[in-house]
Amino acid sequence: MIGPNGIGKSNLLEAVELLGSLRSHRCSNDRDLIQWDTPQALIRAEVGDGDRLELELRRQGGRQARRNGKLLDRQLDLIGPLRCIGFSALDLDLVRGEPALRRQWLDRVVLQLEPVYADLMARLNRLLRQRSQLWRQRQISSAERHALLDAFDVQMALVSTRIHRRRQRALHRLEPIAQSWQTHLSGGTEALELHYKPGSRLDGEDAEEPWRLAIEEQLREQREEEERLGSCRVGPHRDEIALLLGGSPARRFGSAGQQRSLVLGLKLAELELVTQLCGEPPMLLLDDVLAELDPTRQQLLLEAVGESHQCLVSATHLEGFGGGWQQQAQILGARELRPDLQIG
Amino acid sequence: MNSVAADDLRNSYISRIGGRPLSGFTKPLARLIDQFERLPGIGPRTAQRLALHLLNQPEEQIHQFADALLAARTQVGQCQTCFHLSADPECEICRNPERRNGVICVVADSRDLLALERTREFQGRYHVLGGLISPMDGVGPELLHVTELVQRITNEEISEVILALTPSVEGDTTSLYLGRLLKPFCSVSRIAYGLPMGSELEYADEVTLSRALEGRRPV
Repeated sequence: MIGPNGIGKSNLLEAVELLGSLRSHRCSNDRDLIQWDTPQALIRAEVGDGDRLELELRRQGGRQARRNGKLLDRQLDLIGPLRCIGFSALDLDLVRGEPALRRQWLDRVVLQLEPVYADLMARLNRLLRQRSQLWRQRQISSAERHALLDAFDVQMALVSTRIHRRRQRALHRLEPIAQSWQTHLSGGTEALELHYKPGSRLDGEDAEEPWRLAIEEQLREQREEEERLGSCRVGPHRDEIALLLGGSPARRFGSAGQQRSLVLGLKLAELELVTQLCGEPPMLLLDDVLAELDPTRQQLLLEAVGESHQCLVSATHLEGFGGGWQQQAQILGARELRPDLQIG
Repeated sequence: MNSVAADDLRNSYISRIGGRPLSGFTKPLARLIDQFERLPGIGPRTAQRLALHLLNQPEEQIHQFADALLAARTQVGQCQTCFHLSADPECEICRNPERRNGVICVVADSRDLLALERTREFQGRYHVLGGLISPMDGVGPELLHVTELVQRITNEEISEVILALTPSVEGDTTSLYLGRLLKPFCSVSRIAYGLPMGSELEYADEVTLSRALEGRRPV
């Protein structure tokens, strides 16, 4: 998709992402996804084996998901036929940015591995919100507050243990794949390590029960600090995934080029693992990102995905794309993207 | 208005449905439709159907309907023992001596009580909390009927309390809180969560299945 800025290329990719994963990486509020001054938006797609998917967003009231015209009780059931993985300029922050971005990257993978994970994350977030509201309540006695904190601790310890274990397992599976991409992309000069640094101390043997007890203990111990600082100091919401190149943190010591290769390697690892798990290659959404790669890395990406994956690529200019890409692609210009605008 | 006129009105209205064209309705009718629309689960179409239906009823029937509404609102309060909806100071279940068997089932509201009552399995008495603990909504134990529950347990010779609360974060928090609070007085249990009867294992969603696995018991 080639066209000037503002023609709606990213919108189209975002719509595909939303239909495939029920979320958008750019925006978390449905109201901002609907065209201004219209009450609703509809995304409709027909995928490979004839499935018709529909997602309706409404300014008032929630979403409605339909598959082959049938209204789905659970929107989650829309996920599956259209798996997609997005690459965008924002991904560069995966190495440089906040730990939350790396957690999100890992969470996307875990979610593909185990759908129950969505429920665990929802519970953790709800518990954290309830817990911080509890501290703000002034009218309750200290004994009462601690009795309620006990009730939150028990639940948080269990949910946290399960999230930690799943994230750790997923990272173990991602590491060798990311390492082999790193070798491929950088010519094998620096070894990559993905270190899981959990936000709780995971004492004792690697099993659910000892970890759960350890975390419950830590939650109790940190209460004074929690009261002072206003946030819970223990749990998966404080996880970090350290990316080490040749033993030092890529976040601080990597060059811009190294960081770019690393991001590409991590995303390709995500792609490869999801492909392995689902048995079917997901669709790739490359939003304004290919042109930012030098020809060598473009070529590597093309070799990695070009044969087996359908890609939707957006860019402002066709120049800068290697010949291989152009030959295999169907190219849509501004006229095809927005017939209503009548661009000369 | 005779019924033919009402039918015409209905047909002409339904053909114009789409937005909310309450114009074209005489004022008292529009007011009635508006009142129905405020009820939970009732949209514009159903509101009209109900309003137009009532217009076709004999006046006596309407009087009975209006009386029932007012009577329910003015007479139904809460049972002073268990806080279930009741027109009397003490509800039927609490008055029944056969149900005084030392077991209390704790529920969040009267709807849950009615659901449990339909099973005809539970022979004890109930206690309606009036909600679940949720600091986000400003609901702490002091806003629920928790003190009254503790009093009942000490006064009524209660041997077991069954917690029947939804398995949400708020439900689990309330269960854990009550569990610790009541353990010194009596035995406390929680209802099991798992698969609904008559449903196939393969169609159960992952969250329900994993909860059911967690709550497994020896055969």
